[in-house]
Amino acid sequence: MGIDLVGMEDVWILPAIPFAVFILVSFFGRLIPRNGDFIAVLGMALVVLLVGLVLVDFQGAFHDEVFAPIAGANTYSFDWIDIGDGFFVIEFSTYVDAVTMVMLPVVSFVSLMVLVYSIGYMKGEARYGWYFAALSFFVAAMLLLVISGNLLQLYLAWEGVGLASYLLIGFYWERQSAAEAAKKAFITTRIGDVGLLIGIILLWRVTGTFDIQEIIHAAEEGVFGQTYLTVAMLFLFAGAAGKSAQFPFHVWLPDAMEGPTPVSALIHAATMVVAGVYLVARMLPVYDEVLIARDVVLYVGLITALMAATMGLVATDIKRVLAFSTVSQLGFMFAALGVGALTAAMFHLFTHAFFKSLLFLGSGSVIHATEQQEVGELGGLRKKMPITALTFTIGSLALAGIPVFAGFWSKDEILHDLQHYGPFAAYVILAVTAALTAIYTTRLVLLTFFGKPKNEQAYEHAHESPPIMTGPLVILAVLALVVGFITYQGVGESLGFVGGIGELVYLPHHGPHVFKLDIAFAAVATATAVVGVAIGIMYWWGDARRAIAAQSWAPELHQLLVRRYYLDELYQGVINHVVLGAAAVVAWFDKRVVNETGVDGSTQFVGFLGYRFKFLQTGRIPHYVLGMALGVAALAVVAIGTT
Amino acid sequence: MVTLFLLLPLAGALLALFLPRERELDARWIALLFSGLAFAVSIVIFVTFDPDQNGYQFVDQFTWINPSGAGFEVQYFVGVDGLSAPMVLLLGLLSVVAVLVSFNIDERVKEYFAYLLLLETAVAGVFLSLDLIQFFLFWELELLPMYMLISIWGSGRNRYSAMKFLIYTLAGSAFMLVGFLVIGVDAGTFEISALTEMPPQDALIPLSLVFWAIMIAFLVKLPVFPVHTWLPDAHTDAPTAVSVMLAGVLLKMGGYGILRIALPILPEQAHDFRFVLAAIAGFSVLYGAVITLQQRDLKRLIAYSSVSHMGYVLLGIAALGAVGLSGAALQMFTHGTITGLLFVMVGLIYERTHTRDITSMSGLMHRMPLIGTVMLIAGLASLGLPGLSGFVAELTIFLGAFDAHPAATIAGIFGVVLAAGYILWMVQRIFHGPADEKWADLKDANCWWEHVAMGSLVVVIVAIGIFPGIITDSIESGIAPIAQIFEANL
Repeated sequence: MGIDLVGMEDVWILPAIPFAVFILVSFFGRLIPRNGDFIAVLGMALVVLLVGLVLVDFQGAFHDEVFAPIAGANTYSFDWIDIGDGFFVIEFSTYVDAVTMVMLPVVSFVSLMVLVYSIGYMKGEARYGWYFAALSFFVAAMLLLVISGNLLQLYLAWEGVGLASYLLIGFYWERQSAAEAAKKAFITTRIGDVGLLIGIILLWRVTGTFDIQEIIHAAEEGVFGQTYLTVAMLFLFAGAAGKSAQFPFHVWLPDAMEGPTPVSALIHAATMVVAGVYLVARMLPVYDEVLIARDVVLYVGLITALMAATMGLVATDIKRVLAFSTVSQLGFMFAALGVGALTAAMFHLFTHAFFKSLLFLGSGSVIHATEQQEVGELGGLRKKMPITALTFTIGSLALAGIPVFAGFWSKDEILHDLQHYGPFAAYVILAVTAALTAIYTTRLVLLTFFGKPKNEQAYEHAHESPPIMTGPLVILAVLALVVGFITYQGVGESLGFVGGIGELVYLPHHGPHVFKLDIAFAAVATATAVVGVAIGIMYWWGDARRAIAAQSWAPELHQLLVRRYYLDELYQGVINHVVLGAAAVVAWFDKRVVNETGVDGSTQFVGFLGYRFKFLQTGRIPHYVLGMALGVAALAVVAIGTT
Repeated sequence: MVTLFLLLPLAGALLALFLPRERELDARWIALLFSGLAFAVSIVIFVTFDPDQNGYQFVDQFTWINPSGAGFEVQYFVGVDGLSAPMVLLLGLLSVVAVLVSFNIDERVKEYFAYLLLLETAVAGVFLSLDLIQFFLFWELELLPMYMLISIWGSGRNRYSAMKFLIYTLAGSAFMLVGFLVIGVDAGTFEISALTEMPPQDALIPLSLVFWAIMIAFLVKLPVFPVHTWLPDAHTDAPTAVSVMLAGVLLKMGGYGILRIALPILPEQAHDFRFVLAAIAGFSVLYGAVITLQQRDLKRLIAYSSVSHMGYVLLGIAALGAVGLSGAALQMFTHGTITGLLFVMVGLIYERTHTRDITSMSGLMHRMPLIGTVMLIAGLASLGLPGLSGFVAELTIFLGAFDAHPAATIAGIFGVVLAAGYILWMVQRIFHGPADEKWADLKDANCWWEHVAMGSLVVVIVAIGIFPGIITDSIESGIAPIAQIFEANL
């Protein structure tokens, strides 16, 4: 068993640490030197250490290379809410398996890198302490999310990371655009979250439990009807697509770049946006039962991957290019899940986290140095910022899928699985997307670090970032170079995983698959990437005359991409004219019809009657006698009539 | 014990009235003392209340009116069960908050606090009465202080709004009284528990009519579409403390009445009309939320959001099961604290900016970070963020109502998207953006009473969000007998 100080049953302590940091720093940050930034970093370092210990315990639970923990060794639970005498019980429960063990190192390690980097990047900012508090809150929620043993707790953490995202996108709330982006992100993802909640309720109704493993069991035993389960899983996927910025919910992520760049690196590249991938991966055995829902995951992934890559081709803001690329890469992961390729999806999630956070932190280094983020104002920076340029290039090569870099291995794995298990068109779409990825990545690197400086002033101003920022860049660059090798058994084992990733993360009914490099296949993938890079170099090397020519060659297409297929405008139009228009109509109805006509009108009517009939009260006896006589006569008629 | 809770504010009200004119401002301290004592009593009641024990606890009972030969009697009969214990606690807490946010009142101070304390007694009577006639009397007693508070200390069209509130409630309670009399005279008793044990089988007029006669009063108070339009007007024109009491506890009288009286006494009729109730509920949630999106006045915005949120209460009730009913009761409590806090914040903002027009404010976060932060917390609670109390209640209602009323429940779930829309829009417009010269002189919350009023409610909202058991244990024991009626017979 090894060291059993902190085992798989104790993972609840992981989110507890950053949460305690959040409380401490947000309430008492002003009293602590440096506003408590070092507490956040040290707390995170402790989490990384503990994840290591959990990993040791995790390895101990393998018998004959199969994960077979003793009952209860990888779970922990207590009743949190109990309503209706056990009619529904919400547990706090944790669950650890291979999927969790892929997520935990990613979340904790990237968080640590980002926190360290932030000490340099955020130096001198107003609300410096709050920044570290909010980031710690995010990490707590994210860790809680990936260890959740039940769907409701996952939902709670899910909204928690959403809140953190809202607060951090809107960190510079003085800026209207940042406040707007924060709101957009929250509301867009919330539409998906409603789907998630409905999905959870639908699963609960039939099984009476929120426990993920029990629900998977129930689904495998056929407790659900096919249609019912399909609907439930589609609702669940709506939540995943919202969080992971998949079509048609992708619109919030590019705008989310309004947040501080390290936030983009952590939340909007490496961790929170993969929560949707994690959710579908976690529930993949259930998706395997309803192939229609799984196909939807595939198609959405494909559409998103391709669409976002094309938008990435024309974006001019360095962070937005990376944001589109994140959306696109998440599409790759969903496409993999859509053909049931759990291993490939989680592998890509793993490598992507490192090279994409590297790219974002690199872009942050550039922004920090030049105070520019439009590529049109950059250029030639490799001479001024050699470390940033080198590490950024390594990250780009990983993203482009050039061999030996991390992204190559995982993207290759996805393409491979798509070709085997998916429709051929799906493979073609992703291969084309991979080529586009190489193109826009090359473009980004060339426009930023090569060629002549386009803004002399910014160039003069530029300088290499301090070691506290370049340190994390270098570490992440090394990882972007090597983590792909965990696909090999030997490498995986030396890193503490059992076997290569294919023998670690797999669906039980598919069985482990030992990785074998298919040279012919890899050659095609490599050729695609290289062609992409070549096209990029051809167009953007030097003075980029050809690129401008391409714009004038197809201005409509260019405009379509720049305007993001007009989807943002469409949504805004729907909100302004349909939702708020309907709201205006209803509000008018409420004011005029319900209130003024119905309520005030009825009182006025009573007043009117009183006004009219008061003339009957003449005070003259003969009138009253006449009235009485008429009344008696009428009663007499009625009486005679009835008898 | 509960009689003490009932009488303490009344005693404070009388004492305040007898203050000499030159020591008028001391009425604040008297009000704080007596509402504070009442709150302390409510805490003792809530903590010593034993959820495992059946029936009412802390009972005080004696015959009050016994007309010879009439065949019935009216009792003074008070006590708490799991349903009323949290309501009493909520009332105790919000009354203190209401007194605190009134510390700046400078017009007819004695009377103001006397009315405020009388209001507390009246509402306490509603939550504690176990006799229908007594219930009705307290129900009507609440109108007097409310009418005065809105029409004298209110602003805008305060007389119109006060009168509207009065007539609306009176019209509703006239029907209610007819319903009570028909049931009570027929059964020879007005005791709620006796009537629950042997529900009336038939009466002078059809029981379904009796059911609606009683329900109309409660639905007006809740309020739900289409009898809600008094609420935005009353809120807009009422002083801050009255808005807090109105949203925090007065609306709960409606839901409480349904749970305490309408369902247990007329379960068959409730069951017959459950789809009608669910339809009204689901519609109200969306209708209220959609209108909220259009509001520019801060108070109207929160008032319409209350219409939406009280729709959830009715949705949980319409489910007629243990979970849905528990959710409804919990939603009443959490909405009381959340919306109470929202109105406290609106009051603080209005005191500083002298406007409630959302579009005319911007960048207030620069001047008042504390108010902005607490407003955001209240807003997040209102839009149902997990970890804060609103979510637990809404979730419980959704889970409880889904099987019985899937369509209304899904409508309700979509209400939370709209809630995110109007809350975040409001927060962004008021607090975010560049600093505005116009607001350069504003001060953040800086008096102790402001801090206590905000802090206490935030603590409750967070505590229930994380440990809902502190309230749900009590609520469950109160709901169980009601739920049993429906499980056993229908």
